[in-house]
Amino acid sequence: MNAAAQRPAGGPDPAAARRQSGSPPTASMPPNKAPAEAEATARWHDALFALQLLAQQPHSLGGIWLRAPHGPVREAWLQALAALPLPLIRAPGSVDSARWLGGLDLAATLQTGRLQEQAGLLRQADGGLLCLPMAERFAPALTATLAQTLDRGGVDRGGRFEPSRFGVVALDESLDDEAPLAPALQERLGLWIDLRDVAPSTLAAAESNVQFDIATTEVTAGDSILQALCGTALALGIDSLRVPLLALQVACAHAGLHGRDHVADEDLAYACRTVLAPRARQWPAGQSEEVEVQDSDDAVPDSPPPTDNETPQATPEPKPSQDESKESPEPPPSSGIEPEALQAMMVAAAAARLPPDLLQRLMTGAAPARGHSQGTSGQARQGAQRGRPLPPRPGRPGGGARLHVLATLRAAAPRQRLRGRTDPSQPVRIRAEDFHVHRHQQHTPSCLILALDASGSAALHRLAEAKGAVQLLLEQSYARRDSVCVIGFRGAQAQLLLPMTRSLVRARRALTGLPGGGGTPLASALQLAHEQAAQLQRQGISPILVVLSDGRANVTLQGLGGRVQAQAEAQHWARAWGATGHAGLWIDTAPQPETIAQQLAQQLGARYLPMPQLQSQRLAQALQDARPGR
Amino acid sequence: MALTFPFAAIVGQDDMTLAIQVVAVDPSIGGVLVLGDRGTGKSTAVRALADLLPPIDVVSGCAYRCDPQRPAGLCERCQPADGTATTKGKKTPKLPVESRPVAVVDLPLGATEDRVVGALDLEKALSQGIKSFAPGLLAQAHRGFLYIDEVNLLEDHLVDLLIDVAASGENLVEREGLSLRHPARFVLVGSGNPEEGELRPQLLDRFGLAVQVRTPQDLALRVEVVRRRDAFERNAQAFRAQWQDANQALQQRIVKARKRLAAVQTSDDLLMLCARLCQQLGTDGLRAELTLLRATRALAALQGHKEVTAEHLRTMAPLALRHRLRRNPLDDADAGVRVERSLQDVLAAA
Repeated sequence: MNAAAQRPAGGPDPAAARRQSGSPPTASMPPNKAPAEAEATARWHDALFALQLLAQQPHSLGGIWLRAPHGPVREAWLQALAALPLPLIRAPGSVDSARWLGGLDLAATLQTGRLQEQAGLLRQADGGLLCLPMAERFAPALTATLAQTLDRGGVDRGGRFEPSRFGVVALDESLDDEAPLAPALQERLGLWIDLRDVAPSTLAAAESNVQFDIATTEVTAGDSILQALCGTALALGIDSLRVPLLALQVACAHAGLHGRDHVADEDLAYACRTVLAPRARQWPAGQSEEVEVQDSDDAVPDSPPPTDNETPQATPEPKPSQDESKESPEPPPSSGIEPEALQAMMVAAAAARLPPDLLQRLMTGAAPARGHSQGTSGQARQGAQRGRPLPPRPGRPGGGARLHVLATLRAAAPRQRLRGRTDPSQPVRIRAEDFHVHRHQQHTPSCLILALDASGSAALHRLAEAKGAVQLLLEQSYARRDSVCVIGFRGAQAQLLLPMTRSLVRARRALTGLPGGGGTPLASALQLAHEQAAQLQRQGISPILVVLSDGRANVTLQGLGGRVQAQAEAQHWARAWGATGHAGLWIDTAPQPETIAQQLAQQLGARYLPMPQLQSQRLAQALQDARPGR
Repeated sequence: MALTFPFAAIVGQDDMTLAIQVVAVDPSIGGVLVLGDRGTGKSTAVRALADLLPPIDVVSGCAYRCDPQRPAGLCERCQPADGTATTKGKKTPKLPVESRPVAVVDLPLGATEDRVVGALDLEKALSQGIKSFAPGLLAQAHRGFLYIDEVNLLEDHLVDLLIDVAASGENLVEREGLSLRHPARFVLVGSGNPEEGELRPQLLDRFGLAVQVRTPQDLALRVEVVRRRDAFERNAQAFRAQWQDANQALQQRIVKARKRLAAVQTSDDLLMLCARLCQQLGTDGLRAELTLLRATRALAALQGHKEVTAEHLRTMAPLALRHRLRRNPLDDADAGVRVERSLQDVLAAA
């Protein structure tokens, strides 16, 4: 009676609930009372059910990417995780490569004088689950090897292949404006669960009767299922072909847990909600226009599909209830169903669970308002942490240098016999010449924040020139392999045209699309730059602000006119920047050097360059001088 | 070794599979750079590469997989002790030979220098007090392929190292009290998404061919990809058995092409075409011409032709030249299109 046992946990699935108990669809049950609450309950149930699926097939589903802040909700989920009948290994982000991949156990080796190997966590996790707390902070070296292990089903160590198949549970606590889990890993984890909007009260209401029977049913999926899955993924703008495959595995596992040998609608609906919908990059209706704009960080859900200002048939976000009605064709053996009908059902199921801001993101297109949710693309963290460790070098500890014990022992090891250590019980003989110290990356990456004034006053005739200057800056930042972040300001407020990126092509694209005209919301731009800088600094990136403006602010933070107020606010934020001590460069776009601009530049603590005298050489020099620690 | 997805079962991605086969025919073309989004089958194709290649003869027990046929490139261990034989051509005691599959080595992002270059062999050091070298990934990749996923995100110090080794074919180790060199000739295969970060031009130049991949937007094709992958995941052994013949046929094709390669003729006209094309595109140096020439020749051999034709050139030019155009880093025009355009001009003029 597997199916019956599962029913409570399967409850979130509207189709399942309806079919099994004859009750109306869960989501539309409370007429208008609290659809959000019902939605949260459904989410919570899906999250619990994801655990059951994972328990059944840890490896083939890849794992779970859980986005949730620390709190009672996550704790409850983690308890359920701990209750799984599977070995669970927690790996801290500070794990070193020997422990991660497996390697020499130096302490034991030194003690016994014989080679002692330790199995890596990736190997030990075989057949179970690997849990990564604060997964978003994991170093690329770890996430990359983890992705590789997932791909190959084992660890390759010095030419020796050790099979290891496990599921990953990545706990991601990143805030909206922070870089989430590494994209390469996101891509490979099948189930994306977002509990950020689930209130603790939901838990109390939701009965969590989770069962962990391992289903043995062999589930087969017909061609129509495959077609529907692929079609749905395509309709949602999901490019990666890993995703439909993962969705298929999830659907099969879901069916297996319900004791079915075929994939039914509710299995597909579940796969849609947990695998496809969170990865959606476009609103399903308007697929054709969007196909070409797939952009870089394809696995980063937070990045907007760039450019297109037109909203694909801006369908108002469908109420969940609306979709359930479409799900009605439900003869259990799905092999006979047309893939089109299945796909329509799945698109509807996915639409109910699309990221709430997707529509908004599509509408705002290139110009996401106050782009907090943009944050940084995941890869931006690559190489961005201050003091990334480098291989140790010989040297004396002290004066800021820390002793690298392992490397020191390593250096001492071959000389033990020479130094007369014959008995393994004797302590290892280490001399000063063996000392190795930690080294850290000297160069901290920097990011140019370009704030470009496109207002009527400064720009109309000089905008092209300003863009030219920006081009020069971009070329130089390319040479330095800096990243850039572009803010445009005109009209009522400043906009983040492009969150931090290393793709200068995108930066240029963002700029060329910027029209001119309107007021000068300088304060808003400086404020936005300030926020961006704080965020960059948290990632260990030093921000450099480059303002291209004549400094004649005339729009206040509230977006209202008023020169005096606007100027005062601009000066306030300029001083705020100056107080942080970050570098800055002010390029005055006025035809004649402006005293206001000079004054603002001074308050910013920025170098001042009037544009008429701007030459590429001078600009390069100015930028170089502006850099901290040149 | 883990079972890999059979190369013959890869659906679509013609440019990528062609480039890989061409490089398999003539490794001297250099590596392949695959640019594109995640989930397009880049890694699958590269890891399946081993299927295409017949096993190679190596000196038995040699950690560097020395080639017994090339005495000049032997590692220190395999070289005859007196060092005379190689130069004078005298009969040396025959080196024992064994057959091993070609290595396809994965270099993960964030690998340490130790792992890539090799390091002191701690086992020997500790148990016997002997200072010896434990070869790293570069040694493993000798005479095989070195695959770097997300190559554009590779740290600069590793990039420097690779650029050097890829050019010299030799890994110089001067660290941890070790001082040695060993052969490391490999074909570099990289993949990545250019929008996440640019590649250094020097590294770009080390790749012979560059292909741009996109996921197929055709539903039937996508379904087929997922279907095969699913079948593979369910039962890898059975799936491989099913594709065994097709894989064998592919391998035979490569082997035959390799034999035919030396006999493929290239007319002077075609050489002129190559040169004119590169001139018009303004590629730096002569490497572009050379690579283009080798690639077209390998393609002709692969297709069983005796002579290189303009058609081969047409196929290979975008792959061989796309990444070599001197370009403005801010220019986002597709380089492939520029190559095609110049190609048409040149062919029309001829």
